[in-house]
Amino acid sequence: MTCEEFERVLPELEGGHNLEQEEHLRTCSACADLLSDLNAIEQNARLLGDQEPSPRVWNNIETALRRDGLIRQPQLQLVSATLHAPRWRFAWLVPIAAALVYGVGLLIMHWQVSTQVAHQGRITNPVVESSTLQSPSVSISEDPMIKLVADEAPGMRASYESNLRAVEAYIHDAELAARNNPNDEISQQHLTNAYEQRAMVYEMAMHRVLP
Amino acid sequence: MTGARKLQGDKVSEAEAIQRAKQGDAEAFEALYHLHKRRVYSLCLRMTANTASAEEFTQEAFLQLFRKIGTFRGESAFSTWLHRMAVNVVLMQLRKKGLPVVPLEETLETDEETHKKEPGADDVRLAGSIDRIQLEHAIANLPPGYRAVFLLHDVEGYEHNEIAKIVGCSIGNSKSQLHKARMRLRDLLKTSRAEKATKP
Repeated sequence: MTCEEFERVLPELEGGHNLEQEEHLRTCSACADLLSDLNAIEQNARLLGDQEPSPRVWNNIETALRRDGLIRQPQLQLVSATLHAPRWRFAWLVPIAAALVYGVGLLIMHWQVSTQVAHQGRITNPVVESSTLQSPSVSISEDPMIKLVADEAPGMRASYESNLRAVEAYIHDAELAARNNPNDEISQQHLTNAYEQRAMVYEMAMHRVLP
Repeated sequence: MTGARKLQGDKVSEAEAIQRAKQGDAEAFEALYHLHKRRVYSLCLRMTANTASAEEFTQEAFLQLFRKIGTFRGESAFSTWLHRMAVNVVLMQLRKKGLPVVPLEETLETDEETHKKEPGADDVRLAGSIDRIQLEHAIANLPPGYRAVFLLHDVEGYEHNEIAKIVGCSIGNSKSQLHKARMRLRDLLKTSRAEKATKP
């Protein structure tokens, strides 16, 4: 094998050589030096490390992605997390359930108010006994969200229960006020706020216990 | 801990991050960026030898990729796709700036030109005498076409079939470009060493 022939096959060599090439390398110092140099360049190149770009590169990319509408964080993050947690496959039902509870509560309230108005003439004492209303503690102990919180984040159970109890007490008081003052807008507003707060407590608890 | 770090900490697979990015998940985009940023940025930096340009091209490559992520079907590796973007962005910008780019198809350079000996070239072997600064400097002096193939193969560790996909050439062409890049580097390193030796 000549030097020209060796150099012609050099680009195809990936570490190994055949007998003919080995023989040529033993007898030709120029080709042996050439091969040694090329191997040294390759080995040193592998030692060159990667470098870190500055944080502004990601900041610029993120800004551009948001501007283009490619990042849709809040809802999709929630849906994605839900889809990737098998135990929480039906967790998306919780806010719907909360909204349903809220809606049903409003319907009941309006039905009670209209009933109250219809019988207003016959009622001599408008004050309703608080004992006739549902006690908050009864509904809290049966709250499905409490069970979920207790299963997924036991440490949060106490604070969640406390929040829910406060909200239920607020609903209780607001319902009482609305019954006693059916035509009072402020009482109606309090009741609406109370139901909204319960929906919010449900939603916050769900966010916290989701992985 | 940011969301992306959490993704990495939880060892969410690249495939899952891609699926989530397709749905517009910000954390998934960030995780993909952090997984590949160093390699892409280093490639851009060595291709341009300029920090500001390297950042600009890294940003452009990732943005192009993220804008098309919905079309990614997984036929090739994600990193191959990303590096193809990066190489295309860099080569296009270098062409725009009027810098000479050796075409990716076979060059007209003859074997005699390739193997031209520099002064002092036959003296001593390079092995053991190459330092990092010299090598980085020599790489920066390669023509961009050679440089891209050399960086992808010898620095980043891609195989020739992957490089062929990234730069859009044949496997044989990739091997040929790599060999010529190494030969040119050898000349540059020996010239640099000879110049250093003659300095008082």
